[in-house]
Amino acid sequence: MKKGIHVLSLMGAAAFFLLLSITGAAASDLAPFAGQEGALRIAGGTAHIPVMKEAAKQIIQSNPKIQISIAGGGSGLGIKQVGEGLIDIGNAGRKPTDEEISKYDLKLFQWAIDGVGTVVHPENSVKALSSAQLQDIYTGKISNWKELGGTDRQINLYTRDEASGTRKVFWGKALNKGDISAKANVVISNGAMKTAVAGDPFAIGYISVGHIDQSVAAIALDGVTPNLETVRSGDYKVSRGLYSLSKGEPSELAGLFLDFIFSPTGQQIVAEKGFIPVR
Amino acid sequence: MNRPHSLTEYIFLTAAVCSGLLTAAVFIFLLIFSLPLLENGQLTDLLLSSWAPDKGMYGIYPMLMASLTLACLSLSISFPISLGCSFVITALAPARLRRLLLSMVRLMTGIPTVVYSFAALFLLVPLMRNILGQGSGMCILTAAPVLALLIAPTMIIFFVNSFANVPRSATLAVDALGGSEIQKLLYVMIPQAWPGIINGVLLGFGRAMGDTMVSLMLAGNSVSPFNSLTQSARSLTAHIALVMAFDFDSMEFKSIFVCGLFLYIVTALLMLLLRMTTLYFSGKR
Amino acid sequence: MRRFIESSITVFSWAAGLLLTLALLTLVGYLLKKGGSTLDVSLIFGDTAPLDALMLRRQVFDGLFPAIIGTLLLITGSMLIAIPVGIAAGIYMAEYCSGRIKSFFSLLFDILAGVPSIVVGLAGLSLTIFLHRYFSTQITTSLLISCLSLALLVLPYLIRTTQTALESIDPLIRRTAPALGASRLQNIVRVLLPNSISEIVGGIILATGRCAEDTAVIMLTGAVASAGLPRSIFNQYEALPFYIYYISSQYTGPEELARGYGAAILLILICAGLLLTALWMQRRLTTLLLYR
Repeated sequence: MKKGIHVLSLMGAAAFFLLLSITGAAASDLAPFAGQEGALRIAGGTAHIPVMKEAAKQIIQSNPKIQISIAGGGSGLGIKQVGEGLIDIGNAGRKPTDEEISKYDLKLFQWAIDGVGTVVHPENSVKALSSAQLQDIYTGKISNWKELGGTDRQINLYTRDEASGTRKVFWGKALNKGDISAKANVVISNGAMKTAVAGDPFAIGYISVGHIDQSVAAIALDGVTPNLETVRSGDYKVSRGLYSLSKGEPSELAGLFLDFIFSPTGQQIVAEKGFIPVR
Repeated sequence: MNRPHSLTEYIFLTAAVCSGLLTAAVFIFLLIFSLPLLENGQLTDLLLSSWAPDKGMYGIYPMLMASLTLACLSLSISFPISLGCSFVITALAPARLRRLLLSMVRLMTGIPTVVYSFAALFLLVPLMRNILGQGSGMCILTAAPVLALLIAPTMIIFFVNSFANVPRSATLAVDALGGSEIQKLLYVMIPQAWPGIINGVLLGFGRAMGDTMVSLMLAGNSVSPFNSLTQSARSLTAHIALVMAFDFDSMEFKSIFVCGLFLYIVTALLMLLLRMTTLYFSGKR
Repeated sequence: MRRFIESSITVFSWAAGLLLTLALLTLVGYLLKKGGSTLDVSLIFGDTAPLDALMLRRQVFDGLFPAIIGTLLLITGSMLIAIPVGIAAGIYMAEYCSGRIKSFFSLLFDILAGVPSIVVGLAGLSLTIFLHRYFSTQITTSLLISCLSLALLVLPYLIRTTQTALESIDPLIRRTAPALGASRLQNIVRVLLPNSISEIVGGIILATGRCAEDTAVIMLTGAVASAGLPRSIFNQYEALPFYIYYISSQYTGPEELARGYGAAILLILICAGLLLTALWMQRRLTTLLLYR
């Protein structure tokens, strides 16, 4: 009987310490923000926003004196604005060019990996393409699904605006820098791309792997289906890093923010939002 | 007592002059920022070539044509409907229904264009795709009715207001002669209120030409030369929104100021033209 | 024949009215169907206690509260700038101005009315870049810049309605007070404005609606995806129309999409609220000014 109580209390204590260590982990990741004050401006790549928002939420809830504003605008804008000193942290969905890095003295922080997958409507019978076929589709050489074994309907091309990091990566790695037909519909974000493709049975488009769900069907490229596993293992080639940039060394608050993104709590947020954490 | 230049008059004058200066300031800002492109003597290139930044072409001709077509088409859908609605609100409906309809129209001015476009993206685009039997359903023909719905409230309010401003003595005379409501509208109110109607149409056209969200979300945004209503096309405003994300120093970014400048000039010319015809006809009467 | 034309116009007009009503009902019905279920306290306040949020004790996350406040601030700010200027300019146009100058100003305001909102936004943005380069690097896009740009956007509406309202006043009413010895200003303030207040308020309603819904201007001049409540007019801010736009292009799942629809319903409700207030004021002001 006495032993039983001992075991119980021991288990209780163990559970207590376990709980303490879990909440303690989150608290200790946030601890450096104690006593901090001031404003932090973040802008740039739109894929980053969900992660940034969640991180900002946890930080501000632990210390309401910190103010964080998060804007989109695209990778190009993020690189430029941080370079000009308009914002503290710029986000980019592609690696900045060497010229950009040296011109603005940028410091790179890559905190996640993401793939760019080709997608079609779930009812489309075409489920796999070769690189050559994909390039021909985007130049307009193949213009009917019939040629690929599908229904006799015109292929509706969707692409992203020229400032998009997703477009740059897809164009460079999947299309091998081939032309994109001027007839392609242009949408302004990953979300809009998913909406368009999910609603159009004859569409083909490309989105961030983190955004792929049941509403669209991923196309296997040269036999490799884009998903988190194949991107992580490196089998799926069309991938990219998600970067945050600062001009020179980050300011104290910006540095703490970036540290938090790399902390276990931060990397858990990254995974929750559908990206592959780097740590 | 009635001094020609009182202090209050100067205050009112200042307000008017400031508003006028602001109009000019917008123009000057756009001009300054688009000078680098204009200076190179590329004006005709810009106007007549198409958009391919990879090849160093920053032309906006396809967008210009798409914008004009879209605005004209939606205005021609919206104008008769708005006029009809303003007839109902002004004369045809019973008093209580009139007030209800007018409140409804006023409420509609506050519905964001992004809401219209978003609903249409899920309701109208699939419908158009099935009707046309080809393409993605995103085209000028899809965007135009939505844009028509968007500009209708503004026009209706202007029409109703200008009908309401017709002197009572004129309308009472028709009543005394036993004329019906529709006769009163057609033969007395419209001849008297038409400057207001023109104002409404001008504003409507301006909004149709200037709306960003509808064409951005529904017209497809392709940059190929515009040649059919059922093809994906990009308006000037959508073009600005799409190219906005480039960095400040790029040619792409500078070229959107040229787009802004053209939008400004096109509207200015249009206003000038309409004002002159108005003056001409009112002089003739 | 004439009778036929008259009756067909009547029929057409009713059809047009019906069409417009149906379009609106379809839209609202669709929004309610898609977003009605999200309409509750947590849509606005997230997981923060409403009282804490209202007392500004805690910042709201995952809720629309900052966006609602941002939109209200935008409306207030831009109307504070636009109403006095617009009405004063309108009075000048109707009562003091004449001849060539008048038609010149008329043309300018027509042009301004026709300038697309995204161009106004571009102008606001270039003003910001200009100030940032030559005055202070502290200046960036902010609530103030957005308010100024929006005010410019709605200015021609206010000028035009004030002007037409004053000009359409019956000449008999216009001449009575001066004949009794009132000054020009007295005539304007005591007679002309009260007689046209109802229409001027109508113009203000139109302008307010425009401020509340415009996305293109604020997209370029300072609205961001997440910022909390702005602490000063030099901060960036959140706003409802921008939130809807952001969701419509960036949503990651059906839940987020539903919240976008919820935000759209809220925005329409806010506009309806403003409209009702304005209608009430319209009635009160007319009686107050005319029969004091």
